[in-house]
Amino acid sequence: MSTTMSASMSVHGPLVEQLLEGQFICAITNEEYFAKLQHDDVREGIDAYLKPLNRRVASNDDNSVYFLAYRDIDDPAREHLKQQLGVIMSSLLPLLEWLTYVQEAMGSDGILTAGDTLKLQELVIKTEDNPSLRQRLQSLASDKFFGSSADSVDAQAKQVAKRLVEHGYLVQPHSSRLYFTVTGKIDYLLELVRFIKDEENIPLDDYQNSQAQTELL
Amino acid sequence: MATYDDDKQHLSSLFEVGAERLKLIGDNAKVLMQGYLTGGIDPAALNERTLRRLINARVLYQPDDSHELKLRHPVTQLVAALVTDESRRAIHADIADKLVSIRGFVEGLREAQRMGDSLRVDSQMLRIDEAVYDLTAQFEEAIYSLWHRLNSNFGFVSNLSDKIRENERAQQQIKRLIDGMSLIDFDELIELAEGNPTLRKILVSRLQQQMSAHHGSLLEVQKRLVELMTRFREQQERSLLVLNMAGFLREHPGFMVGDYSYRTQVPALVNCAAPIMPAAAVGLDKPEQQSDITQLVHTLYRQLALKQKTDTSSVSADALQGSVQSTAAQQAVEARQQQLKEDAMRYFIHVCEAPEPPSALAFLAAEELEWPPEVWLFQVLAEYNALPRQEQKLFAITRDERRISVFNHVHIIEDLAVRFKAA
Repeated sequence: MSTTMSASMSVHGPLVEQLLEGQFICAITNEEYFAKLQHDDVREGIDAYLKPLNRRVASNDDNSVYFLAYRDIDDPAREHLKQQLGVIMSSLLPLLEWLTYVQEAMGSDGILTAGDTLKLQELVIKTEDNPSLRQRLQSLASDKFFGSSADSVDAQAKQVAKRLVEHGYLVQPHSSRLYFTVTGKIDYLLELVRFIKDEENIPLDDYQNSQAQTELL
Repeated sequence: MATYDDDKQHLSSLFEVGAERLKLIGDNAKVLMQGYLTGGIDPAALNERTLRRLINARVLYQPDDSHELKLRHPVTQLVAALVTDESRRAIHADIADKLVSIRGFVEGLREAQRMGDSLRVDSQMLRIDEAVYDLTAQFEEAIYSLWHRLNSNFGFVSNLSDKIRENERAQQQIKRLIDGMSLIDFDELIELAEGNPTLRKILVSRLQQQMSAHHGSLLEVQKRLVELMTRFREQQERSLLVLNMAGFLREHPGFMVGDYSYRTQVPALVNCAAPIMPAAAVGLDKPEQQSDITQLVHTLYRQLALKQKTDTSSVSADALQGSVQSTAAQQAVEARQQQLKEDAMRYFIHVCEAPEPPSALAFLAAEELEWPPEVWLFQVLAEYNALPRQEQKLFAITRDERRISVFNHVHIIEDLAVRFKAA
């Protein structure tokens, strides 16, 4: 039994490595691995294999992205999760601001979602033509999460995209070409935002009205 | 016979009037199109006569007492249908009205048959055929327009809430179309067509076939519209979520979430484990892997050597001049070394041939060689030491040395003299 398991695991070796490194695997980051993870038996195999490491495969609500979770949540795990949540919370506002900025700049119907393509040059051109967008990019790029000290729209947009790639929200299919694909991690982030909204009873609906009023003013 | 002539006359005048008015529209196409887009036409854009003709032709009208002229509804609809301008297209499915007229035509047909008026029978049959065609064309046009809107993702309106409204409108339209379809009572039509195979074919078999096809497409469009609506709503929900949460966080900079990780049930989304880097090092405890490791080490050396080579060349070479320049410099150094070596060899040969062989420095001076004395002495000594043992025995080398200090045994070689000893 154990030999068959380790044999099947060596097939999934690189996949397990990516998961262990803390990567989120979706149809965009790695189609092949994602397809494998959709099989119950593969996930169960990996779970059994990772048991001594106190890890298991987890996914978001609509199973569009997979990552590793703690199997048993002991105290060190709790402490890590707490810190991690703190990090996410501190980067949440710049991320959300970036999402609304892109939506407005590109004039799209919705917020970016997994699989959407982002052409950086197009975004830069649209931003350069619009003082309000320029200011928004400037202020979010200089946030410590994105950490850009550049003055030009082009450099700011590039730095922001670079950071988003580092954090796994975007992938750049060709390093020489400035277009990016949105990964499933964005969907995960939004699910987390929705969860926080519900958990903390944040009255976002009232918020909309007050915002509409400030916009009118 | 009189009715036939009347009909004919009526038709020919209809033809002429129609052609004339279509031409009138064509002649004023640009002004009319401008009016379609802006919603009104300035009477000054047209001359008095054309204006009157357009109003008489029921192309334009002057609402109340305003100065501006407007396109009549059918003209607007015609343009909208021609350019598939979905925001302006309205499709009327007044099925009941059409069914009444079909019934009327069938009655007329029966009457003409009773009176034996074959010409009227033919013309009534033609009208029935047209009415049925009209009926199905209405659905066809509506379905085409619906697909068009669906496939363009309601691109004719700019924002998401307008798209949602348009989608709702399209769904209501489908409902009306399906309701309209249910008004077609095939039992009644079968009864109407009783005893007339041509009529039966027009009213029953053809209509039924087309209607069932249209019904199928309508259901398909409806399904797709509902799907699209779901997507629109999701997009709307996401946009609002992001926008509002960003607004909330902006106004509450110190906002902190609860201690989710210290709950008995840690929320699944929050449970995202710390990364583990699967590192590994070479294990030397397995003899059977040794050949693999050896190979690894060899490739590593090769890579290191390659790296060093590129490193040194990149260090020595000026960044602008590149590696081509650096190999040139290297070649120059090698050439000088070769020259030094050859000069030293010449000294040894000279020693063998000359009856009174000079010292190394004397040779250097005599031959006017450019080498610094120290370098020269080193080279001669190196040359001697590099000789094979037997050949070394053929030469005696004497060093003209000077002790540098009384405190140690360091000697400085002032000069060298090589003598050839014949064996």
